[in-house]
Amino acid sequence: MKSESKRPAPPQWAGKLIERITAPHLREEVLGDLDELFFTRAARLGVVRARLWYLLDCLLLIHPRLWHHKQEPSSYRITDHQPFFLHPDMLKNYLKIALRNLWKSRGYAAINVAGLSLAFCIGVFLFLIAYQQLTYDSFHQDGDRIFKTYVFSNDPDKPVQDGSMPLPFAPALKAEYPELQVTRVMTGRKSLVEANGKYYDKLINYTDPDFLKVFSFTLLSGVRETALTELSSVIISQDMSRDLFGTADPIGKSLRIGNAADGRDFIITGILADAPDNSSVGYDALVRIENSPNYKSDKDNWDNDSHAVFLKLPPHVDEATFEGRLRSFARKYFPKPLAELSKRGAKADAQGDVFAVRLQPLSDVHFNREIAGNKGTPIAVVYVLLGMATFILLIACINFINLSIARSFKRAREVGVRKALGALKSSLFVQIWSESALICCLGFGVGALLAYFLLPAFNAQFGAKLKLAMVLQPGFIALILCVLALVTLLAGGYPARQMARFNTIQVLKGKVTTERPGVLRNALIVMQFTMSCLLTCCTVIAFQQVKHLRQSPLGFDKEQVISIPVGSQVNGRQVLGLLRQRLAGDPSVLSITGSNVNLGKGKDRVTSRGVVGFTYKGRSVSTDWLLVDYDYLKTLRIKPVAGRDFERQYAADSTNAVLITQSMAKMMGEPNPVGQMLRDDNDTTGTRSQIIGVIPDFQLYSVGYEAKPITMHISHTEPINYIFVRVTQSSLAAAMENLKKEWNQVAPQSEFIGSFLNENVDAWYQDEEQLSQVLSLASGVAIVLSAIGLFAIAMLMIEQRTKEIGIRKVMGASIPGIAMLLSRDFIKLVVIALCIAVPVAWWGMQIWLDNYPHRIVISPWIFVIVGMAAILIAMATVSFQTVKAALMNPVKSLKSE
Amino acid sequence: MVFAIQKSRIITCDLFPPMKGTQLGEFEELVLLTIARLYNDAYSAAVVEELSRRLERPMSLGAVHRTMQRLEEKGLVQSRFGQATAERGGRRKRLYTVTTAGEQTLQQVRQIRDELWAGIPKEAFGLA
Repeated sequence: MKSESKRPAPPQWAGKLIERITAPHLREEVLGDLDELFFTRAARLGVVRARLWYLLDCLLLIHPRLWHHKQEPSSYRITDHQPFFLHPDMLKNYLKIALRNLWKSRGYAAINVAGLSLAFCIGVFLFLIAYQQLTYDSFHQDGDRIFKTYVFSNDPDKPVQDGSMPLPFAPALKAEYPELQVTRVMTGRKSLVEANGKYYDKLINYTDPDFLKVFSFTLLSGVRETALTELSSVIISQDMSRDLFGTADPIGKSLRIGNAADGRDFIITGILADAPDNSSVGYDALVRIENSPNYKSDKDNWDNDSHAVFLKLPPHVDEATFEGRLRSFARKYFPKPLAELSKRGAKADAQGDVFAVRLQPLSDVHFNREIAGNKGTPIAVVYVLLGMATFILLIACINFINLSIARSFKRAREVGVRKALGALKSSLFVQIWSESALICCLGFGVGALLAYFLLPAFNAQFGAKLKLAMVLQPGFIALILCVLALVTLLAGGYPARQMARFNTIQVLKGKVTTERPGVLRNALIVMQFTMSCLLTCCTVIAFQQVKHLRQSPLGFDKEQVISIPVGSQVNGRQVLGLLRQRLAGDPSVLSITGSNVNLGKGKDRVTSRGVVGFTYKGRSVSTDWLLVDYDYLKTLRIKPVAGRDFERQYAADSTNAVLITQSMAKMMGEPNPVGQMLRDDNDTTGTRSQIIGVIPDFQLYSVGYEAKPITMHISHTEPINYIFVRVTQSSLAAAMENLKKEWNQVAPQSEFIGSFLNENVDAWYQDEEQLSQVLSLASGVAIVLSAIGLFAIAMLMIEQRTKEIGIRKVMGASIPGIAMLLSRDFIKLVVIALCIAVPVAWWGMQIWLDNYPHRIVISPWIFVIVGMAAILIAMATVSFQTVKAALMNPVKSLKSE
Repeated sequence: MVFAIQKSRIITCDLFPPMKGTQLGEFEELVLLTIARLYNDAYSAAVVEELSRRLERPMSLGAVHRTMQRLEEKGLVQSRFGQATAERGGRRKRLYTVTTAGEQTLQQVRQIRDELWAGIPKEAFGLA
């Protein structure tokens, strides 16, 4: 209206906003009051200030009272005639109705219970694994005061942290800081143990008397203070005591450790409880470190790192302070590495150290693979497991919510009638919610049973050592109850609240069922499929990476080779000689050799590594120093690229000849290394080795370890720990049997634990393999759960649209047309989910793959295939219902009501 | 009737028994008094104007409106729709009148105040 345009007007938008949020019965008066106030203020204070006041009033009006609907008139309240909604009689009634309802819709309840129990079971497994990992080493008293020492060197190439220490380190530390409790822990090999004339293979660890003060493993018998004071004392584990002595008391008895030649007698002074599965320090028996094989030669050698050192700080000293004090210690005792680093131009790191002795908290020991030399679990894996457990539970919850919401429309009429009969919102809420709670509890109960029965199978499949006893801790039970409560409240509460709020009149008119766009339901389905597609993509990529790792060229021929760990009972060199003699005439044996390092992970599970570093013509060289025997190249089918293999006719081959790999030649900077002499620049008097040949690089250790150049030599004195035998292709199993027979002749006191090299190599990737198996199990469950959810939703959706379908058919719609129409809605959701999941998966897996030096390139086909599979699964699930609906006789569907 | 509920079988359970007398906040008391004073023309905007003039401080419509709603729920005032005027954009106003309960409450409050005043010893203020 133009005539009124000169009149001042309040800000339109604010008025509109208030109008929108105000409850209908208040709208008229509030807006009228606002306008009236504006005009009186405009007359008194001016338009500008009136406008400001108007805005302020609008802002201050915002309050729940503004949009709350009208209360019941006070003269008549339904509550006056209602029992309290939590009255015992009412609870009994809720339960009765809930049971009846669940029985009436058994299919729906079964789907829900199945989904929830499956998710709960997997969730428990994954949580248990994560829990076991996270509580590693947490059982020690004062664990926060226990630390492992490591040396940090800020190498210009790459900062290095190394947790293995030289023998004189701990005594020096103890001398400088007497208030500390320091113990060395040198993990020995499985050694031969003799007691009462019987022989056993046991893990002997070398340590200090402070071991029992630093760690709180329970000493079952013996005296904690004095158990290890004697050099000839040994503490054995409960398990070993049972093996060796049965039920007899072993204290004071003697046993012999080592083989006949260099064995020593020890007196048992204590029995230690077995180390828990989640302990970084394991043992069968503990003896003083002075008994370790190279103690005499290395006890003052600061260059030979051989063991871990743990220390316990006094209660009032904190880690940072003590690390500060260790600076002077490092300068005093490690002058050589310090000088070397400075020479190479190393700079101080953020904490101002070029080289430092630092402390690693015990809780971190299991997770830091660098300090521990590639042992332990990366913490990321634990988080991945926890994340997956949460994902799966979430998917099951979403199913539950979606099904409840979808079903609520079916039950709208029931709710309407109840309301008309005077049911209150609160009692309706509790009644509907109690059904959900019942299903949840049932699901959890069945899940717990499933977990109980499947745990042994799970442990066997994934090599886990989970015990259900771990679940039965107060903390864990509390967690489970919390999850249960959360799931029940979230998944059961929301639909119940929605239903309790239905408008009685509209419901009874039959309006509610056809309305409602179900935005929330669609969002939840999208979320569900996003998560399962994400998991699947990641699993497929992880699988491909593992496969890639296994198929990466080894550099040697792993087929038809049997590897035999010699063990500690017998002399490997002797056995090798005897086997060579006896098998010389056997046509199925092609060649035999020995080495001190196994290829792959054999049945003895031992990995050892000897790395030598020196300077060659001004270049610093670091190489694996590998002991081999004649025919090593022949047995492994490695062809020299230059020079020759070791040969028996040259006497010098066994004393000062070496074979090097191509990367070694590169590191030395020699284009023609054959014939060159290999030696340390600083050590002019020492032995020199002549390079007699160059071979291509091959994989001596798994890809998890840093690959180094390899230098091979032959010796007549160093022990041979592994024997490799190449056999002909025709009779692999027979060859193994034959070898076993020969072995029992040659080394009767030692068990034959030979295995094929290709199995050994597979065992290298066991961790990755198991992780990808767990991943695929989880993603499989996620997909199944999502499909179950979709199936049920489709079922309920189509039930609601029965009439529509009938009419469409009557009007001439074709069956495929109807099936397409019904499926389209769901397929759309899956496609949206894919659009979200694919970039996230791509990005996440790029980051993961960057950890590996040999990594695959993510192929877009993975996503295409996963996407197609997801759509196909969705289609198959839905079409089961849609086709059924489309085939239905319209006469029947239109006749009812 | 469908819901012929047998009264005897119903157990009522009062979680919040009504309090003795009605609590009246300070602002509620002011608004209630203003409504009484404006008598036949007591609606939100008028109460805002009147109160902000008397208290000499600005007053928000929201606070007053909510207080009046609360008073009505307590049964101290009752409301009806009044006339629509042009300056309200043709919208009706909600007119409030004090009920008997409201009047009683006001009287009670006043009586308490009076008693308190009467009980103050002369020295208390005289000496200050």
